[in-house]
Amino acid sequence: MDLSKIIRADRVDLNISAKNKDDAIKSLAHLLYESGALYDEQKYLEDVFEREKVSATGIGNGIAIPHGKSVAVKETSAAIGRVCENLNWESIDDEPIKFIVLLAVNDSDKNTSHVKLLSQMARKLASNEVCKRLISAKTREEIVEIFSE
Amino acid sequence: MKIVGIAACTSGIAHTYIAKEKLEEAAKSLGHTAHIETQGTIGTEDELTLDEIKEADVVIIAADIKVSGKERFKGKKVVEIPTHIAIKSPKSLINKISEEIVK
Repeated sequence: MDLSKIIRADRVDLNISAKNKDDAIKSLAHLLYESGALYDEQKYLEDVFEREKVSATGIGNGIAIPHGKSVAVKETSAAIGRVCENLNWESIDDEPIKFIVLLAVNDSDKNTSHVKLLSQMARKLASNEVCKRLISAKTREEIVEIFSE
Repeated sequence: MKIVGIAACTSGIAHTYIAKEKLEEAAKSLGHTAHIETQGTIGTEDELTLDEIKEADVVIIAADIKVSGKERFKGKKVVEIPTHIAIKSPKSLINKISEEIVK
């Protein structure tokens, strides 16, 4: 499994100074745009916020996984961020969010290895141990490392 | 207890796979076995075999959308829940099912 295809250190930001959920998502979407993963940042954001309305993306342990399947996505990928201040965010355990994994899926990318990699990433987040390590990671490289194990 | 099941969420990208992992891990830690099929964006993976279904004590369908292939579970005890229950409290879910079955 080569997660380096979808997770790159330049798409990780461990010091996001967002005041709320929307700002945090915008900040991570911008990372994706800057690194060439999106055609259209605004359109992608609309699709992510649309998905947010459907159901909670907080999965417990202080982690949230907002995601957008969108025509605005050029390259199926993920941006990862840790916020400086905990955020209010709809979550299954009603706890505030500290760590965000923003997934971007190309709308026509229904059957590629990249989508498979995202699902592998999601499976890793099912582990309480992995969640703890991600939240306390010191460097961007450490984050990439944890997902690549 | 032998558990089989299906996980499927709205966009088929993330919750499906977290639910699978949570259920399988929780089952293992409680001394049961679980095999969860995923129906996501990339289609069906880890598909259940007919033998597995035949031998299963219970079927858990953790889904936010309509899943396909439910007819395979005819005559089985089927528990249907949304994915967030499987993600939030997989152990208590399995313990509860286990108690019900022993009755």
